[in-house]
Amino acid sequence: MRDGRPADEDAGDARRVLAGDVAAFDGIVRRWQGRLVNLAWRFCRDRMMAEDMAQDAFVRAFRALHTYHGEAAFSTWLTAIAMNTYRTAVRERPPVAFDLDPARLRGEGPDALTGMERRERSAAVRRLVLTLPARYREPMVLYYFEEMNLAETATILGLREGTLKARLHRGRDLLRRQLIAAGLSDLESATDE
Amino acid sequence: MSERDDIGRILVSEEPLVPSSGFAARVLEAVEEAAAEPPPLPFPWGRFTLAVIATFVSVTSGLWLLLRMDLSPVVAALTGVWPELGYAAAMILVTLAMLYAPRLRVAARRRTLLRGAAPWSAPRARRRA
Repeated sequence: MRDGRPADEDAGDARRVLAGDVAAFDGIVRRWQGRLVNLAWRFCRDRMMAEDMAQDAFVRAFRALHTYHGEAAFSTWLTAIAMNTYRTAVRERPPVAFDLDPARLRGEGPDALTGMERRERSAAVRRLVLTLPARYREPMVLYYFEEMNLAETATILGLREGTLKARLHRGRDLLRRQLIAAGLSDLESATDE
Repeated sequence: MSERDDIGRILVSEEPLVPSSGFAARVLEAVEEAAAEPPPLPFPWGRFTLAVIATFVSVTSGLWLLLRMDLSPVVAALTGVWPELGYAAAMILVTLAMLYAPRLRVAARRRTLLRGAAPWSAPRARRRA
């Protein structure tokens, strides 16, 4: 998910935007649209809503561009703004009521799982994350979105690494309990790689 | 492979979503609209400071005058009507309680409903069912 863009491209575009060239924001949008839309998608599992949330995040970033002074990586700064935007958007939605259907998802055994069943089970696990309380959901989503980069996740969420680790641990425990309750603890066969 | 690793692998291995073709253009349009908006009004620090100073002066001078006044006639007058004052205060408290109690009950009910939507906060019997 990491784009690995040179930071000076973002800094250059930011300077041009601040100097009055609004069109220069296009470069920032094109470089980071994938990241912001995908992060939003992981919080709502709805493409249209994800794009709306990402659009709001870009507009907020545009308004707050004068606050970016380059202390942190541009990606960290932008993701922190996106996280704040998504947090508000998700809070305004009704809580996710997610019902696992073990009969449909369990199949007859790992060998009997078809590709579609595996995908359904993986999707079920991902959607189940959305039912976690926000204090566990956000670290879980962001940590795995950031490809398990603890330091960056902690910076974006404004948490200490120890706190983040504790929340991840608790989040995984809650998730595991739900999976066990649904008879889906044999997750090895659920990956869709 | 442990179960925790499997959860992590599932969450990491998600296929990336490709933004729709018109997304960047829509964002740029929204950004241009935001740029065309007038800048937000600055906070009126001058007026705020004046108001704070004026409030401080009023309160201080009021207290000073109050302390200099001979309050014994006022206290004597109030002592004469203290039961009525007590009834009035009690009625105000009852009225406020009647106004706010239903709201508090509704808010508590709403909180309970929201908590109930999360699977782990459901009563044990219902969760098993």
